Amino acid sequence: MRIGVFVCQCGTNIAATVSTERVASAAMALRDVVHAESIQYTCSDPGQRTVIAAAHKYALDRVVIAACSPRMHETTFQRTMAQAGINPFMMEMVNIREHCSWIHSDMEVATEKAIDLVSMGVAKVRGQTPLFSSHVPVVGEVLIIGGGVAGIQAALDIADAGMPVTLVEKGPTIGGNMARLDKTFPTLDCSSCILTPRMVEVKHHENIRLMVNSEVEQVRGYIGNFEVDIRKKTTCVDEKKCTGCQICEQKCPSKAPDEFNAGVGETKAISIAFPQAVPLVAVLRKEHCRLFIKGKCGICKKVCPADAVDYEQEDELHTEKFGAIVVATGYELFDWRQAYPHYGGGLYPDVITSMQYERMLSASGPTGGRIQRPSDGAEPKEIVFLSCVGSRDESIGRPLCCKVGCMYIAKQAILTREHIPGSRTYVFYMDIRAGGKGYDEFCRRAQKEAGAVYLRGRVGKIYPRDGKLVVMGADTLVGENVEVEADLVVLATGIDAAAGAGSLAQKLNIPYDQYGFLSESHPKLRPVETTTGGIFLAGACQGSKDIPETVAQASAAAAKVIVLLSHDELETSPMIAEVNHMRCIGCFKCREVCPYHAIEEQGLRDGRRVAVVIESLCQGCGLCNVACPPSVISLRGYTDNQLIEEVTEVLR
Amino acid sequence: MNGIVDTIKDVLKETDLVLGWTTDPVTGMATPARFHDGKEAEQAVFDSTCVHNLAVHLPRLKDSRVGIVAKGCDARSVVELIIEHEARREQLTVIGVGCGSLLDVKKIWRRYGYGVAIEDRGDSLLIGGEQVSRGEFVQRKCHGCLEADPDIYDVIAGEVGGEIPADMAQSHPLYGMFASLTPVERRAFWREQFSRCIRCYACREACPMCFCRDVCIMQTQVPRWAGGAVDAKQSEMIQLIRVNHLAGRCTGCGECERACPVGIPLMLLLDEQNRAIEEMFAYSAGASLKARPPMLVFDVNKDIWGKG
Repeated sequence: MRIGVFVCQCGTNIAATVSTERVASAAMALRDVVHAESIQYTCSDPGQRTVIAAAHKYALDRVVIAACSPRMHETTFQRTMAQAGINPFMMEMVNIREHCSWIHSDMEVATEKAIDLVSMGVAKVRGQTPLFSSHVPVVGEVLIIGGGVAGIQAALDIADAGMPVTLVEKGPTIGGNMARLDKTFPTLDCSSCILTPRMVEVKHHENIRLMVNSEVEQVRGYIGNFEVDIRKKTTCVDEKKCTGCQICEQKCPSKAPDEFNAGVGETKAISIAFPQAVPLVAVLRKEHCRLFIKGKCGICKKVCPADAVDYEQEDELHTEKFGAIVVATGYELFDWRQAYPHYGGGLYPDVITSMQYERMLSASGPTGGRIQRPSDGAEPKEIVFLSCVGSRDESIGRPLCCKVGCMYIAKQAILTREHIPGSRTYVFYMDIRAGGKGYDEFCRRAQKEAGAVYLRGRVGKIYPRDGKLVVMGADTLVGENVEVEADLVVLATGIDAAAGAGSLAQKLNIPYDQYGFLSESHPKLRPVETTTGGIFLAGACQGSKDIPETVAQASAAAAKVIVLLSHDELETSPMIAEVNHMRCIGCFKCREVCPYHAIEEQGLRDGRRVAVVIESLCQGCGLCNVACPPSVISLRGYTDNQLIEEVTEVLR
Repeated sequence: MNGIVDTIKDVLKETDLVLGWTTDPVTGMATPARFHDGKEAEQAVFDSTCVHNLAVHLPRLKDSRVGIVAKGCDARSVVELIIEHEARREQLTVIGVGCGSLLDVKKIWRRYGYGVAIEDRGDSLLIGGEQVSRGEFVQRKCHGCLEADPDIYDVIAGEVGGEIPADMAQSHPLYGMFASLTPVERRAFWREQFSRCIRCYACREACPMCFCRDVCIMQTQVPRWAGGAVDAKQSEMIQLIRVNHLAGRCTGCGECERACPVGIPLMLLLDEQNRAIEEMFAYSAGASLKARPPMLVFDVNKDIWGKG
C-alpha cells in the first residue's frame, strides 16, 4: 500500500491558521504513507500537476488530499486521480478548511487538529477499494409542476428544444397569478395581453401535454428516471367535448365563491375561470353544486349543447416516467387576517388585499374595471395603501421582504388616478425598494404624476367611523402621528409559497423553508438546482420574485433540463449500499427504511430469503446501513470498518 | 374450558408442532418442549416454573404452522416478532395462559438445597414441607409485570383473568437502589457488573428479538464493532450495542437477565431505554399489532423533543 498525502495551503485560507508543512511532515510518519507535501493551491492546474507527478514518481495507489470541503472539489480531484491513472475513488478528501482553519484562530491547536484529521483520512483510505461507475439510461420526457408564467416559460423553452413536456396544473386553467394581474410594472403593459398568447402557444405546442385539475401524488425514482403518479381530479366535464360556450355557467342556479377573482364577486358552481382560460373548459365544483348537495338539479347537463357534462366522471390516476422535473408552483398571498387584528382582521369589508384591488382594476374582472367599495359599491375617493403587511414584520415572525410590494403599490396608485380622476392616494411605506431596471423612476412617477402621498411609517390601527375608515399611522420623517380618513384601504400583503408546496417538497424529497419556499442547492452557483438531482426550480416557489425574474429563472431551469436530457445515459455514483448476502438474516428492515424503494427480496439457492440492493435506484443515503441489525449492509466507500478505523485512529 | 394437554392436542390438529413445557425428569421442574402429536402432548404442563419465553424459537420456525403457549409477557414478544416479520400471524396459533408470577427455582434451591420439592399454593409455597411466603422467591422479571394475561391468543388454556399481585406490579427493589446512585456510582456499579461477564451470549440466545444469532455483530470481525477480549470494557460495549439494537423493540420479557449465569441485572438498562422510547415516541414494543416501530418510521411532523 502506497499512500500520498497532499496538504493544501489554499493561499492563506488554510496556511494562515494551520502549519501545512508540519501537517505534511506528521503525515510522513503515518503507516503506509510514502509521500507527503504541502501545495499552495492544490486545485489549481500546477497544483494538480504536482499531485499527478508525485503519483507517478512514488507509485502511489491511494491519495489523501487535505484541503476544503469535498462538496467543493471532490469531483475535481477525482478527475486528477483518473489522469494520474489511479481509481478516482481511491482518493480521500480531508476538510481542513471549513472543519479546521476557518473555525480556529490558535495555530498550534489548529495544526494538531489538522494532523488528527489527516491521520483519520489515511486510516480510512487504507480500507478503500476501487469503485466503478455504471450508466443508466435517461428518460427523455420532462414534468413541469405548476402552470403559472414560470411553468409556461419553462415548458415552451424545453418543448422548443424538441423534448416532450407534461405540464401539470392544479387549477382549471394555466396562467397562474400573472393572469389575474391587470397591468405590469414598470411599463404598465397589459398582463393578460402578454401572457395569453403564451398560454395559447402551450395548448397548441406539439411537444406539450397539458394536464389541468391535476396534482402530483407520488414521486419515485431518481435523476433521469422518475416515476410519478399524477391524479387528474374529476370536474364532471369532458375536456374533449366542452367547447367553452359557457351556457352551463349562465344557467347554473348555484352560486360559488370566485377564487380566480380573489373573492371579489361570485361565480357559479360550474364555470370557466376567465374568458382567456386555457383550456377553455368549464369545471364543476361539487362542493357548491346543488345536484351534489341537495340531490336535485342537473340543469347544466340538460343545457350543454356538446353533451360534455358527466356527473359520473371519476378521478384518473396516471403513472408516467420523466427524466427531469421542474417545480414552478408559485406563490400565494399571505393570509393577513389572523396576524393583524388591529387592521380589523378581515371584519371591515373595505379593507382589502392588493389582489382583490387588482381584480377590480382589470377590465375583464368582476366589476368590469370599476373600482368600488365592497361595502356599498360606491366609488372611493380617498384610498390608502399599506405596504409590508406580513412582510418585514418581526413582531409576527415574518422578517422576509416580498420584493414586489413597493412596485405594485406604485402601479396601483398610478392606475387609481387613471381610473378615478380626482381621487387621492396615500401610501404608508417602510422603505421604497425599487432596485430593478426602471423601477425607481416608476415609483417617482407614482408620486409626481399620480400624486400619491408617500408617508414613511407603519400603520398602528384601522377603525371605522361614519362610513369611513380611520387609518392611524406615523410619519416618521416628520416625526408626527398621521390620521387619514379613507374610503378604501388596500393591504400590500406579503407573499408565501403556494399552499401545499411543503408537502410537494416532501414527495419530491427536496428541502424547503419555514414559509414553504423551496430551497436551491447553492444560493449563488446552483440557483435553479435542488439538492436532489434532476429536480429544478423556477419562479416564486423558490422565493418571491417579479415577472422578469421569474421568466429568467424559468428559462435557466429549462436550460439545465435540456443539458441533462441531451445525454442518453447518466453516470451513477458507485458509492451505494451493498448487502453481504451470506450473512443477511432477511429481516428486511432495510426495505422499510429505504426512501428510494431500492431494496428487493431475493431467494438464494439454499432457500433463504435475503435483501439485495437495486443498484440503479440506490442513492447511497446509508439509511439501510444503519437499520441493518447485524450490520451486513455497507456503503461502498464508507464501510463500517473504514469508519471504525477512522475513529480508532483519532482515539489512539 | 380445556386444560393445557387437551388444548395442545386440539391445536395440533391444525399445526405442525406446539411449543410448550413438559416436566424435566431430572429436576422435576418445567422445561421447554416441542409437541408434534397427541401422544407427546400428554406430557405437557403449565405451572409457575414455566419461566421461559418460548417466542425465542419462532423466527426459526417461520415456515411451519406453529402453536405456542404464551404468558402475557411472551405474547408481547410474539406481537413484536409478527410486526418485524419474524413470525407470521396466519401460521401461528397462540395458546394463551394466565400467569400468577413465576418462581425462581434456582434461588429456592440455593436456600433449601438442590432438588428440594416445591409446592405452589398461590400466596405461599410449601418447600420441603416448610410453608414460606411466595414474594421472596418470585422471578425478578415478574416484578413490574406489564400483563398477566396475553393480549393476543387464539385459544385459552386453563384460567385467565388473574390480577397482578400488588407487590409484583411494582419494580424490583434493585431499581430503587440503582435510582439512588450518582452517575459516578452507576459507572462503578456497571464496571463491577460487567467484570463478571463471561461472554457466554446467553442473554442474546434467550432474547426473542435477538434473531440475528449466528451473524450477531457481537462476534463478527467485519465490521469489527467489538474486540474479542473478555473484560469489563468489551462486555460493556457489546451489551450497550445489544441494548441499542433493542431500542423500540424490547418487550421487557426479562429473559436476558434470567438467562445470565452470573446475574448481571441487564433489565436495568433495557427498562430505562424502554421508558425513554415510550416518552419520546409513545411506543411500547409488543403492545399492539397495529403499531409501527419508531425506528422504522419517519414522521416530519413529529417533534420528539417537544420543542414546538
